[in-house]
Amino acid sequence: MLFEFAVVAGILFGVYYALLGVGLNLVFGVLQVVNLAHGDVVMLGSYLAFEAYYAWHLNPLWAVVIGVVPALVAGGALYAGVGPRLARAADPEMLSLVLFFGISQIIEALATVAFGNNQRSVPASSLGAAPLRILGERYPRDWWVVAGVSAFVLAALFAYLYASPVGRATRAVMSSPRESAAVGIDVRRVSVATFGVGTFLAASAGVLGVFLLGGVNPTEGVSITVTAFAVIVLGGLGNAPGTVLGGLVFGLATELTQTYASTWSGLVPYVLLLVVMLARPKGLLSKSARVA
Amino acid sequence: MRKHKSAKLTAALAGLALTAAACGSSGASTGASSSAKAPAHITIGTLYSGSGSYATSSQPQLAGLEFWISHENAKGGAYVGAYHKRIPLKLVDYNDQSSSSTAAVQYNQLITQDKVNILVSDFGSVLTAPAVTIAEEHKVVLFDPTGTGTSFFTPGNSYIVLTSLPTSGVWPDPLVSFIEHEKISRVAIVYDSNDFDASQATTIKDGLTKAGITPVVYEAVPTSTTSYGTIISTVAAKHPQAFLELGYPTNDIPFLQNLQSSGDHFGMVFTAFPGQLHSLLESNVGEKGLAYTFSYGFPPQISSSKVSEGMTTARFVSAFGHGKASNVNFLDVAGYQAGLVIEEALAHASSLSQSALRAAVASQSGKLHTLDGSFDINSEGAQLGERLPVSQMLPANGATTTKIGIVYPASAANTAVTYPAP
Repeated sequence: MLFEFAVVAGILFGVYYALLGVGLNLVFGVLQVVNLAHGDVVMLGSYLAFEAYYAWHLNPLWAVVIGVVPALVAGGALYAGVGPRLARAADPEMLSLVLFFGISQIIEALATVAFGNNQRSVPASSLGAAPLRILGERYPRDWWVVAGVSAFVLAALFAYLYASPVGRATRAVMSSPRESAAVGIDVRRVSVATFGVGTFLAASAGVLGVFLLGGVNPTEGVSITVTAFAVIVLGGLGNAPGTVLGGLVFGLATELTQTYASTWSGLVPYVLLLVVMLARPKGLLSKSARVA
Repeated sequence: MRKHKSAKLTAALAGLALTAAACGSSGASTGASSSAKAPAHITIGTLYSGSGSYATSSQPQLAGLEFWISHENAKGGAYVGAYHKRIPLKLVDYNDQSSSSTAAVQYNQLITQDKVNILVSDFGSVLTAPAVTIAEEHKVVLFDPTGTGTSFFTPGNSYIVLTSLPTSGVWPDPLVSFIEHEKISRVAIVYDSNDFDASQATTIKDGLTKAGITPVVYEAVPTSTTSYGTIISTVAAKHPQAFLELGYPTNDIPFLQNLQSSGDHFGMVFTAFPGQLHSLLESNVGEKGLAYTFSYGFPPQISSSKVSEGMTTARFVSAFGHGKASNVNFLDVAGYQAGLVIEEALAHASSLSQSALRAAVASQSGKLHTLDGSFDINSEGAQLGERLPVSQMLPANGATTTKIGIVYPASAANTAVTYPAP
């Protein structure tokens, strides 16, 4: 009974963790940029949900829709501004680390000024009050809603990547920017679009994370980036479908540990990460199985 | 040439200083001479968290201390017994951003660079921990408002004074009695793995075991835990009558939210912070999520009308909270209380030396009664004078909000307990 509950909870959280990590992985796969401000964008998404619920009296899920255009524009504009400078740098990956660390700190400071230090939450009842009874177990309804919306956004992302011209170009750039440029793909444009999409994915993970991550506060960005990074390393860096597997493994490890050895629940997922890294350094879906 | 002039100047200044010292020592017993060498101000150094996990708790504590300083400065400063006069107070504070490593550097800076007369630690055990060893190393008395980890208070270290709360290991004594009193036999305890929560959990477990009650769940979780859904389900499977969750506010909030959405119900749910930060908890989990939750009881909900020093609860609420009790939380009181203990130390110390300040604090133990209760410390500086009663969040104003009622022990109770919770 406990095992069933933990497995279902692990899958529900795992789908969410996949959404949490996939934007970071997409940006890394296409741009070779480690976006250390990823968790801070997630945090801003959570505040958007908070404002949608309390200030605009909307269902907080509307914040996913409301956030689409601002996130795409802000993310795209940011990368359009810094991308050329990064491309000219002698060591663009190191410069991107420093740059996005700075952006992370700026976002955190501005969020503190704007929202204050106090923890903020949106009631889970805003997604429906009664728990759902499935297979004889009672689950919080918000878990299912969050997992459902996460799965929908992930499905939309894969439809974009596999069925749209821009998405196909994105996968081509992910495989080889040089060859993509040689066949006429505008790599810069694709990069700007990818950063915008990555920003939207992070913001939408924030909207949903306000329910699963215990509310929101301005300083949570760093720990969220660490979690997202663990998820994408588990699945395979630069491998978007691998992120889904990484999220599921991370979610199951966390929930099973919480059930059977809660004292170690902060440690086990990262030990697992270490084991996977030693056994398969390129992640669970290593390059041979990689599907961009 | 310039060197020569400088040497002459140094010699002249040294001569002046020696003369002043000689005058000072010959006339040490006279008020006039003492006043002559009194410092221009007494420097109080402290840290606060402008951001991070502890900001919510740290800032009210600082606000309470600042309130005391401004109140004293309005009278011309704090009365310093060694100089028989009031001396203005000056606050030096740094933002540690809730980081204990940053705090360690800044505590050192306050002692070695700012050379503060009085050192006050930041909120809670995590941010007080680095100050304990640094203060001991420099032989500076640490005025500790809320760092209640039992490991801070050892026979070898006389350089710490817990000004407000008892050590966290003592907090749950009335809670254990309450559980026995209500004949609750199935108790689940989930606590964060840090000094503050682990020492409470140990006290509860030991107390219950003495009473013949073995907890059905006794589990530590990481302090970073923000998702309790699976843990709640695991605990519910053991069918406890009471579920005690011991954490910080960042744990209590998701715990109470997850509990509400889980659909699980327990006769008694206890968390530590609704009694301290009631407004914060209620704004996050709502009236429904908080109703009937048990917690510790703290001032200003515990009201003191007879005090030997400082303001009564009613006066403090009026002056600090502009007349609204909801504007005042326990941490405001804790900051103000630290000021009152410092005030007594300054008034009764024979000099501003750290050993004299520590001796003065010890001399006031058992004599000082404030809005925070009796100040009574042991030789290790641990506060023993206060006992935290059990409180319960009860629906009020047509169940649109909750109010804190003290429900146990009977001598402190101001309302009837509702157990099991409906």
